[in-house]
Amino acid sequence: MTARELRPDRRHGPGDRRYPRGPVASVPLVGVDQAPLLARPYYEAGDPGPIVAALAHVPELLEACVPFLDVVFGPTALPGRTKELVILRTSARLSCRYCVEAHSVAALDAGLGPDEVRALCRPGADVAALADPAELALLAWVDAVAGGTGPVDPGPRAALARHFTDPEVVELTLLLGVTIMLNRFCTALDLPTSSETCRRLAEAGL
Amino acid sequence: MSGPVAEAVAAGRLPGRVWLYSNYHCNLACTYCLTASAPGAPRRELGAARMLALAGEARDLGFTGLGVTGGEPFLLPWLPDALAEMSEILPVVALSNGTLFTGARLERLRPLAGRPVQIQISLDGADPGVHDAERGDGGHAAAVGAIRRLRQAGIGVRVATTAEELSPGERERLCAFHRNIGIDDDDHVVRPVVRRGRAAERDMGIAVGPADLPPELTVTAEGAYWSPFGPTVTDGRLDTDLLVTRTTTPLSIPAAALLRLVEGRPPGADAATGIR
Repeated sequence: MTARELRPDRRHGPGDRRYPRGPVASVPLVGVDQAPLLARPYYEAGDPGPIVAALAHVPELLEACVPFLDVVFGPTALPGRTKELVILRTSARLSCRYCVEAHSVAALDAGLGPDEVRALCRPGADVAALADPAELALLAWVDAVAGGTGPVDPGPRAALARHFTDPEVVELTLLLGVTIMLNRFCTALDLPTSSETCRRLAEAGL
Repeated sequence: MSGPVAEAVAAGRLPGRVWLYSNYHCNLACTYCLTASAPGAPRRELGAARMLALAGEARDLGFTGLGVTGGEPFLLPWLPDALAEMSEILPVVALSNGTLFTGARLERLRPLAGRPVQIQISLDGADPGVHDAERGDGGHAAAVGAIRRLRQAGIGVRVATTAEELSPGERERLCAFHRNIGIDDDDHVVRPVVRRGRAAERDMGIAVGPADLPPELTVTAEGAYWSPFGPTVTDGRLDTDLLVTRTTTPLSIPAAALLRLVEGRPPGADAATGIR
């Protein structure tokens, strides 16, 4: 998983009518013709996707955020499947339409099956589709962190620690926190889902 | 003075002047106006206090001059006092259409006499023809009158000509004219119409990009730009293609970003169009 996969359809221009799902973004998405100087590298390969096209309004933030997101969401010591479990479950908890749709596709690409994706997207529903004890502990911990406020219940944290090392717990926690940040960013700005993501979701029956 | 900006300015890698867009409204509505300025245009004022603070920051970073542009800056009643204070910090050039310098407005300029302030008046020809066609009837006579009165008041004046086409004969007549009213060749700049803002809407001028424009840090109420030709208004929207940062204070943030951009492009890349 890379941050570029946060921008799942790079062929379509920001604001393009081929972003068919969800409302029109609540800020104009910056197109290539108005891309500020510091943002231009992100447009060189085509449509950079709605997150970058929104951040391009403030290029000094874009310049700092995207490399950060690339590191957090990109290849690291954690398996891609594990990271997508965290991202998708958190996004479902936060009811972020954009992130749930984009990361349902990313999760499929990371090796999750459609039933697993459906289970992750329905917090509170049966997650029997996931059988691995480490993954179940991880989901319980995500639910505790993303679904609550204040101190985190020590039970899920202790269970998590039985399956993951301290560095892994730190990275999973940052991944979860950054996902929450993006969930609220994408939801508050009503970022649109690309047609390519919609096509992939329909193809998978999601 | 030390620091990366000061070093870049001293070495000629970065122009020394910082431009401030004091406002966007204007008493005229010229055909090729970059900022689509007009009497009813959104003002986007920087404000006197912010301009003075930016002047101080520019000096501290190692910039060597200030430019003030708009809109028509001299619609702002506080501008002469601000220019006087800014000139205590760095030399200033302030751009104007030259149509406002009579009566009380002229009187308010008198404290600028003898200071390192130049008022740059737009003059697009030796006679009213092209000038008034682009800028409105009576504009040429008003500008020429302003040049004479400002010089008589001891205030520094330079002249800028913006032209789509200027034949050698027209140029020679224009230069003879400005010399005749006391403006030396060193205080006369000629530049092409740039295809941005209202000029683009009217299919005028030459298209430019960052490679064509000197990287002169330019601050507006809505962000810092690569050049004073950057923060243009097209179809009522402020263009962002030459935006550097939204942050303008501290000035070190856009200055550092501009310097990084400058150092990432080949030397001499702005030499072709001669836009200054």
